Amino acid sequence: MSRVLYVVAVAAALLTSAGAAENAQQIVDEAQRRVTTKSERYEGLLESFNASGKKTSEKRWTFLRIGAHGQSKSIIRFTAPAEVRGVALLIVNRADRASDQWMWTPALARDRRIALQDRSTRFFGTDFSFEDLEEREAAQYTHQLLGEESVAGAAAWKIEAVPKPTRSSQYAKQHVWIRKDNYAIVRIDSFVKEQVVRQLEMSDVRQVGGIWTAHDTMMTDHQRRTRTRLRLDKVEYNLPMNDDDFTVQALRRQ
Amino acid sequence: MKRLAAAAALVLCSTVVQAQTFTHRGFAEGRFLAFPQTTVTDGTRAIADGLLREEVFVTPPTWAWLQFAAGLDLRGNSHDQVENAIDIGDRSLRRPSVSIRRLSATVNYGRFTADIGKQFIRWARADVINPIDRFAPRNYLNVVDTEFLPVSGVRPSVQIGNETLEAVWTWHLTPSRMPLLDQRWTTLPPEAAGISIEDAGSRFPARGQVGARWRHTGGRVEWGLSLFDGFTHHPHVQATPIMPPVVPPGPVPDANEGDGASEETPDDPDASNGDAVITNIEITRTFPRLRMYAVDTAIPTRWLTFKAEWAYFAPPDHALRSYTLFVLEVERQLGEWLLTGGYAGETNAESAPPLAFDPERAIAPAFVGRASYTVDPRRTIAVEFAARQNGDGQYFKGDYSHAIRQRWRATVTAIVLSGSNDDFLGQFDRNSHLTTALRFSF
Repeated sequence: MSRVLYVVAVAAALLTSAGAAENAQQIVDEAQRRVTTKSERYEGLLESFNASGKKTSEKRWTFLRIGAHGQSKSIIRFTAPAEVRGVALLIVNRADRASDQWMWTPALARDRRIALQDRSTRFFGTDFSFEDLEEREAAQYTHQLLGEESVAGAAAWKIEAVPKPTRSSQYAKQHVWIRKDNYAIVRIDSFVKEQVVRQLEMSDVRQVGGIWTAHDTMMTDHQRRTRTRLRLDKVEYNLPMNDDDFTVQALRRQ
Repeated sequence: MKRLAAAAALVLCSTVVQAQTFTHRGFAEGRFLAFPQTTVTDGTRAIADGLLREEVFVTPPTWAWLQFAAGLDLRGNSHDQVENAIDIGDRSLRRPSVSIRRLSATVNYGRFTADIGKQFIRWARADVINPIDRFAPRNYLNVVDTEFLPVSGVRPSVQIGNETLEAVWTWHLTPSRMPLLDQRWTTLPPEAAGISIEDAGSRFPARGQVGARWRHTGGRVEWGLSLFDGFTHHPHVQATPIMPPVVPPGPVPDANEGDGASEETPDDPDASNGDAVITNIEITRTFPRLRMYAVDTAIPTRWLTFKAEWAYFAPPDHALRSYTLFVLEVERQLGEWLLTGGYAGETNAESAPPLAFDPERAIAPAFVGRASYTVDPRRTIAVEFAARQNGDGQYFKGDYSHAIRQRWRATVTAIVLSGSNDDFLGQFDRNSHLTTALRFSF
């Protein structure tokens, strides 16, 4: 009985939300609100494929985040392959500019400020650029509803996001698909001029702690015709975390 | 010291049994170096080198604030650069066949962290030359392909917001390992031809070293202030001529005997050695006291990142003069390119002791640069150079690295050195070489 009530309540909430989503900005704000958490942890598997579809590399890491969006801090700590095990990246996101980043390299026994004037730089040579890995802050874009389309059988809003002048970006615009049933982002096409250069597809969307989370993300670089898949495992939200563990000093702890 | 190491190993082993968090990393690497030219001191053109390294990190199950780290190197070398010994202090002239690379405990409690034991301590901000890195001795058996050596000490630090205050105490000096006297990276002046050099070892200071550093991170400007009171880890060489033995007094030969070649009398010792040729020199490595006051900064801007280190060195020994070393560097990420260029300079360079082995002082003033390109997740290419400001010496390095599957990596490196014989880089102009390395990581 309680289960039925729960389903009805969720359906009512969704209908209310959909009704309230009169414009693209509201939809994006709602999507962002639904994934806003105090903290996050997951184990990631990053697989790169060349133009002929052959897997060329595989990297594993643990990801920790505290805070959300423009106020968040993240640490990516590589666990495989063996040659990069222990390499760690601290990302301090800024609402008004590119994130600050430091990398800890065990072989050199030192941390190093990462020069990130060009966020189009590929992350460890994969198809994700550093900008692609930053959290999207809805307030940094101007949004326009382009229509509705089906993505993998699910109805979705198609929204154009143009970075505001204060937001430096390698992309002229992005098309974002947001599922109507759960407000999960399921696809992002990124444009340079009028050409799609990268396409991000999210699938295996499951609820974790009340958050709809895509566990499988595929980035396709249309210019190089290569792909990189990011799979998430052991996703957890709102874990107790300490701000002191997201510092340059903390990076050198293995 | 050995007792301390044994106790730490015992604690580590007992911890491993019940550990919940255990990580390790290691690799086996084979390297082959080919030198097209021989030198006066070294006729060997091909050198093979092997290294097996393993590091483990253990956090006890109920003590998340404590972590133990241990690392071991096993080495072999075809050119007598490795001695069969177990070395904990890293003070041997050759690399030891068994070396404790790391043996430390890390205590972390909130904002407080302390590392105790054998560890690596890096203060470097820049990427090409690091005058402020006073706790980072190196292995210079190959002067242009060096490796950092660990130091033994205590390193407590406190981080409050963006500020970190750190203190360092090392209980003994770990010296940089200078080139072996009978190998190609030791060059001798022409006047030294025919002179036998006897190695009298090293005279190490009895006391430890201390340092302190205040570091500001984050924001638009990062900076650090560093103080150091210790010893130079770069050896100064004391050369003592060994005079031929004085001819013992004896009966004056009859002028009619022999061929009359000697007109000297044995009562005049000066006369007996006045024209003696020095055939032996005894050298001793010493490590004079050194104080350093330094600042460093990194300023990321929209277009470039500026990095700088400036260090003022004031040796308490009045026989040595003070000097400054500095490096100014700019860095730019451009797509898959990472470009770094800079200038390393020195003031009061003429005060450098003539027989000090100090590559950082010797290379300045010079222009330095590096460019690396990430081809794809498996392949990288990098080039770097150093060119002396007076044009007397140049160094160029090209490097191609290729990962094979998940565990293998092959690297080919070409190093070209050129210049005049009286220049630090130029003196090695017969040491250009090609290195191929194959590494298996586990």
